[in-house]
Amino acid sequence: MVASDAPTDRVWEVFRQEAEGDPMIHAGNVRAPDEELATHYAREFYGRRQESHRLWVVPRDAITELDDPDLLQPPFDRSFKRPSGYLIKHKLEAAKARAASPGPPNE
Amino acid sequence: MTGPDQLSPATREALAELLLSVADDEFVIGFWDSEWTGIAPMLEEDVATSSISQDEIGHAKALYELLAALTGADADAIAFGRAPDEYRHAALMNHGRTDWAFSVARRYLYETADAVRLEALARSSHVPLAQLAAKMRREERYHQMHLDAWLRRLAANEGSRQRLATALERLWPDALAIFLPLDGEEELVASGILPEPMATLRARWVAQLRPVMAGLHLPEPVDSAPPTDGRTRRTDDFRWLHGEFTMVARSEEVATW
Repeated sequence: MVASDAPTDRVWEVFRQEAEGDPMIHAGNVRAPDEELATHYAREFYGRRQESHRLWVVPRDAITELDDPDLLQPPFDRSFKRPSGYLIKHKLEAAKARAASPGPPNE
Repeated sequence: MTGPDQLSPATREALAELLLSVADDEFVIGFWDSEWTGIAPMLEEDVATSSISQDEIGHAKALYELLAALTGADADAIAFGRAPDEYRHAALMNHGRTDWAFSVARRYLYETADAVRLEALARSSHVPLAQLAAKMRREERYHQMHLDAWLRRLAANEGSRQRLATALERLWPDALAIFLPLDGEEELVASGILPEPMATLRARWVAQLRPVMAGLHLPEPVDSAPPTDGRTRRTDDFRWLHGEFTMVARSEEVATW
């Protein structure tokens, strides 16, 4: 194929949904001069095998990108912000055992 | 409602002719446009054109199978086992791939004509044909959208509009052959297998094309009777393509694919 470097070409990011209610997942991208052809090509690349229920076709330049490491990868320890920072396994087991017991022992 | 068993021999023969001509149209245009695989104007269009070509071969397969069920023949033998002169596609499909504008012009003419024909066949009294036509229309709708997008784009630029116009003028008489009346057509119309005569469908198609072409400053389609050899005339271009698409089948004639 002949490489097309026409200045009018734009990159369109394509998201696909497999079934109604599923999340839209990034599928890949296509290059096209406008929305109409972008939609056609998205359909060919990400829908021609009946694998998609819905497609979103978004011009790449409409996407706001955030990749600043100071904002996304701050230097201090953030482990306490992860759910795994709290070990509740044993507390949970104890709570379950209490809930399963018939009640306070009769004296 | 007519099942194949209730058809008179003459009607059955005419139905076979109808199925063969539609199947060959789809089959041959599918193979012609597959010649763009790898060299289309851009990667995305390459995939799209190849995919549409595959769809057409798929439609041809379904039609050959319908024909095979009617005549007791083998669908693969019909598709690949005939000599070039035994094919019944319209003369529109006699031309080589040529340039992109030529291929867009041909496919636009074909898709719009096919849409009119399929709309009629979906009303056929021959139920298997009506069902298949309804199914094909769902895919052809997309083909038509795609070609419509290309026709408008090429017409918007003076250089490509000129190429498109030249191709449309060259192809027009051969495109009319899509609606060449079939042998035994009266039988088909009387039994409702073909709900309307080809000439009526042709007039409808031309009337639809006229405003589109005028709006894009492309040559006006002139309605006239198709050439009588419109589905029997063959060319060296087609004989070459026939050599290509029968190559694998000829390599091992007793093989099961």
